[in-house]
Amino acid sequence: MMTYTGVLKLQAKKKDQKTIISSCYYEGALKLTRPVYLEENSPSLYLIHVGGGYVDGDTYITSLAVEDGAELAVTTQSSTKVYRTPKKPVYQRMDVRLGKGSVLEFFPDPLIAYEGARFIQETSVQLEEESCLFFSDIITPGWAEDGSFFQYDWIRSKLKVFNGEKLLIFDHLMLEPDDEMAGMMQMDHYTHVGTFLIFHQKASKEFLDTLYETLADKFEEVRFGLSALPEGGLMVRILASNTGTIEKLIEHAHAFARKELLGKESVRWRKY
Amino acid sequence: MTNHLFPLLQLCDSNFPSGAFSHSFGFETYIQEQLITDKASFAQALTVYLRKQLVFTDGLACSLAYEALDRKAEGDLLEADRLLFVSTLAQETRTGNRRIGERMAKLCVELYPSPVLIDYLTAIKEKRASGHSAIVFAAVAHHLKVPEETAIGTYLFASISSLVQNGVRGIPLGQTDGQRIMVDIQPNIDKAVKMIVGLIKDDFGAVSPGLEIAQMRHERMHVRLFMS
Repeated sequence: MMTYTGVLKLQAKKKDQKTIISSCYYEGALKLTRPVYLEENSPSLYLIHVGGGYVDGDTYITSLAVEDGAELAVTTQSSTKVYRTPKKPVYQRMDVRLGKGSVLEFFPDPLIAYEGARFIQETSVQLEEESCLFFSDIITPGWAEDGSFFQYDWIRSKLKVFNGEKLLIFDHLMLEPDDEMAGMMQMDHYTHVGTFLIFHQKASKEFLDTLYETLADKFEEVRFGLSALPEGGLMVRILASNTGTIEKLIEHAHAFARKELLGKESVRWRKY
Repeated sequence: MTNHLFPLLQLCDSNFPSGAFSHSFGFETYIQEQLITDKASFAQALTVYLRKQLVFTDGLACSLAYEALDRKAEGDLLEADRLLFVSTLAQETRTGNRRIGERMAKLCVELYPSPVLIDYLTAIKEKRASGHSAIVFAAVAHHLKVPEETAIGTYLFASISSLVQNGVRGIPLGQTDGQRIMVDIQPNIDKAVKMIVGLIKDDFGAVSPGLEIAQMRHERMHVRLFMS
C-alpha cells in the first residue's frame, strides 16, 4: 500500500438543522482545525499543513464527503508552498462527493510554486443535480532568488466533475514556463491564474450575465473570462499579476453567488 | 481507394462547407485588442496556437480517435468526443465545434460513407455524442486507409488554413501574406504531428489559460465578424 505524506478524510452530515462533522481522519502532514460556526448551522474548516510546505516527492490525498442537505465551507490556514522537486514531482489528489441538496464552498489559499518545483494536482468531484459547489483555485509563481517570477518547472492541474458516470467538465491546465509562456494565448503577460467554479441549479444564463456585469470594469490589471459550462454551471477564469487582485475578484463573485443562489450574506474567514 | 490524396485535398479545401469560416476560436478577441495586427503577429499566434493548443486538444483527439478505430474500439471514439466537449470551457467555442462537427459528419456520410461514420452521426443525432471535426476527420481518414500521421497532419493543416483565411478577412491581411504563413508553418505542423503521436490520453487538454479567456471574452464583444 502506498504511504502518503498526508491524508485527510472527512464527512459532513446534516443533523436536524445543523451540519456537523460526522467523521474525520487525518495522518501525516495534513491536519485541520475544529469546525468554526461562522454561521449558525454550517461549519467552516481550516485545513492545515504541518510543516513549511510541500517538498520533493510528497504525496497528499484529501477526501471530502458532504452528505445530503449538509453545508460546509473549507479553506486553508495559509498558502500552499511547493518547493524544489529535484527527483519526483509533488502529487496531490482530492476527491469530493456532494450529496443531494448539499453545499460545499471550497476556497483554499493560493498555491505558490517556487524555483524548480513540479506539481501535479488531480481533483475529482462527484455531484448531483441538486448539489451546490463553489470552488476556487489560485496558482501563483514564487519569487526566485534573483527576484524574478516563473522559475517553477511545471504545474499540471486536472479537475474533473462528474454526475454519476457522466463527465460534466474536464479542466486541464498545464503551466510550463518557457520563452513563450508569458505571451499571447498562454499567460498574456500575466503571471497568476485563478479559477472560480459554480455549480448550482439556479446558476442560469441570466445569473451569469448579471455576475459578469458586477465584475466587469471593477478590477484593474486583471484579465478574466466567464462562460457557461457544458452541463450547467459556470466558470470564471482569471489572469493577473498578483494574488490580491484575483482574491478580490473571486471574493466579489463568491459574495454575489452566495446572495443570489443561496440567499446568504458573505462570510469572512478570519485567519491571522 | 488507392489514391488518398484527392479526398484529403477536398477535406482541406477552404471552400469545403464545414462552417469553419464563421469561427475564429478566440483569435478575433486578439485582433480587436490590436494584439494581432499584421502578418508577423498573426503567424506567431498561429504557431503558439498549434504547438500549445491544437496539439493537446483537437490534434490529440484526432489521434486518439484514429487509434481507437485501429483497435476496433469504437466506444473510445465517443470518449474522445466527450473529452473534447467537456474540456472546452468557453461556450461559444464549444457550440462552434459542435456545429462544425455535426455539419462535417453529415457531409462526410454523404461523400465518404462508412459504418463508423454513420454510427457517429447517429450518436450525434441521439445526443450520445456532441460532434467534433477531429473525430469526423479521423473516421474518414481511417476508412480511406490514410496513415495516421498523414491524417493528423492534414487535419492540423486544414484547421490552420481555415484560421488563416479568417485572418486574411478579419485583420485584414493580403492573400499572399496568408499563403506565405501557410508555407512557413509547414515545418511546425510536422513537429506537431511528431509530438502528438508521442502523447498519451493523460496529456489530453493540457493547455494554458490565455486563449480560453480570449474565447470567453469574445462572447462579450459587441461588434464581431465571427461567431466565436
